[in-house]
Amino acid sequence: MVEMTPKKRALLCLTGNKHKADRISCCDTLTTATVEQMLAVNAPFPEAHKDVELAYRLAEAAWTIIGLEGFKLPFDLCVEAEAFGCKINWGRIDRHPSVETHVFNDISEFKVPERIIEKGRFPIKHKVEEKLRREYGDYLPITNQVTGPFTVAGHIFGIEKFLMWTKKKPIEQIKEVLMMIADVNVEDSKEALRSGADIICIADPSATSDIISPQFFKEVLVPVYRSISRRLGAPIVLHICGNATAYLPYIPDTEIDAFSVDAQVNIAFAKQVLGNRVAVAGGVPTISALLFGKPETVRKAVIDAIGQGVDVVMPSCGIPPRTPTENFRALVEATKCMIYV
Amino acid sequence: MVTKEEVISKFKEAIVNGDEEAAVKWAKESISIGLDAYEMITKYGGEAMEIVSKMYEEKKIFVPEVLLAANALTNAIEVLKPYMKVETTKVPAKVVLGVVEGDIHDIGKNLVKIMLSAAGFEVIDLGRDVPLQKFIDTIKEVKADVLGMSALMSTTMPGMKKVIDMLKEAGIRDKIVVVVGGGPVTPEWAQSIGADARPRDASAAVGVVKELVEKLKQKRGESW
Repeated sequence: MVEMTPKKRALLCLTGNKHKADRISCCDTLTTATVEQMLAVNAPFPEAHKDVELAYRLAEAAWTIIGLEGFKLPFDLCVEAEAFGCKINWGRIDRHPSVETHVFNDISEFKVPERIIEKGRFPIKHKVEEKLRREYGDYLPITNQVTGPFTVAGHIFGIEKFLMWTKKKPIEQIKEVLMMIADVNVEDSKEALRSGADIICIADPSATSDIISPQFFKEVLVPVYRSISRRLGAPIVLHICGNATAYLPYIPDTEIDAFSVDAQVNIAFAKQVLGNRVAVAGGVPTISALLFGKPETVRKAVIDAIGQGVDVVMPSCGIPPRTPTENFRALVEATKCMIYV
Repeated sequence: MVTKEEVISKFKEAIVNGDEEAAVKWAKESISIGLDAYEMITKYGGEAMEIVSKMYEEKKIFVPEVLLAANALTNAIEVLKPYMKVETTKVPAKVVLGVVEGDIHDIGKNLVKIMLSAAGFEVIDLGRDVPLQKFIDTIKEVKADVLGMSALMSTTMPGMKKVIDMLKEAGIRDKIVVVVGGGPVTPEWAQSIGADARPRDASAAVGVVKELVEKLKQKRGESW
């Protein structure tokens, strides 16, 4: 029998083939970096966002310190916005970078800078992915995260303005802009796949149902995500924050491989709706379990999520930087115990 | 000739529909026929936003429509403000508002600001991505009655707990009402960090804050 590696396991689980693996994967395609890891490998925020060597060490810590079965880059959601020209607040060791200024006052001003993926920190991300591939070969999977088109639109235009435009401007114009941002995601991902990445994660937190309607999701965003999926030959994970339950019926139409759900989504229900069409990732609440809970709370969440049929055990959202290592490790340990017999 | 009732109803309708031009037009009309500017904002503007909130709650509309309504009201307030007779006694309380450090999602906070201002509160808006110490400094400086914090990200939520702990350390926790909000903030979590309430949404915030301020003033006195 061929040896089961974390990479094979992750790819099988993310594509809905978990029963061909020996157990559920715990490859985290969302944010993995925590303060304790930064201190342990001497690669703190914000420096680690901008330096290949530091970013490499911090990405690697997900495996060497926590035991997560895979790497993920970058550590923040501002790479696209920065390359578009937004001013970034770099944060500090326990806070992620955030977008400070927007770029375009009106939708008519929108333009994608030429050769955008050579700008800002795109090259750093790709170099780190290349280095991880070189060092770890085919053993562990590498996830290239792209910031989803809706979130990037919020960054470059200002989210309130963009939301009002979705009602006031012709919807075709909104779709066109989102599709052009999707083109950037695709270009970035192709370069990442050439550099050694195995998985693409579209993180689109602003597309939460706390903000937009299921109808907008279905009519405008589903075609955008589908266009990304169709153009990339790698497993695609989509993460949307908040209660995405109302989106579930439309998720298969995005043609993604796995849907990463936040703590408000019931895993069993998501599995029931998605069936074997799209895998479900998530299951461990970031706040109540990982940040403020005890290892026991985390273990219970893992067992519960697997019981409900989760395909990949992951934190339910981006991990707060102050999450204790002990709790994060409990996620991995509990997942590893659940071997199929 | 339009009647007062008609103007009020058109004004409210314009806000509910998020029609900025119509809201401004009917605000101007209300002044010209002698309606009270303060009442137009706090009573009818507030009623319109309550309808909007209810529709939002029932998932008949979503945030983009709520933003358009708030935008229409804000523009109408600009028109009405110069005609308002300043009555400081009507100010129920001073509110310090902000989105905690690391978080730039301020839609909810802005809606709360509009609703509280429309209800006559004096709102000191610290904006988004607010350093935690700044909440404490401002509260002390203006002797605030209410602190409202929001966060939309699970990664920044813990900042709210820190601020409440800082209030306790500074010995001023009982001088002020603390309300929190934002997508991932549950009432249970709000309670666990020592906040006084987690209003359901921006329009519910007005009632909740009014009630809490009344209780606070009975306990603490009019000011501190």
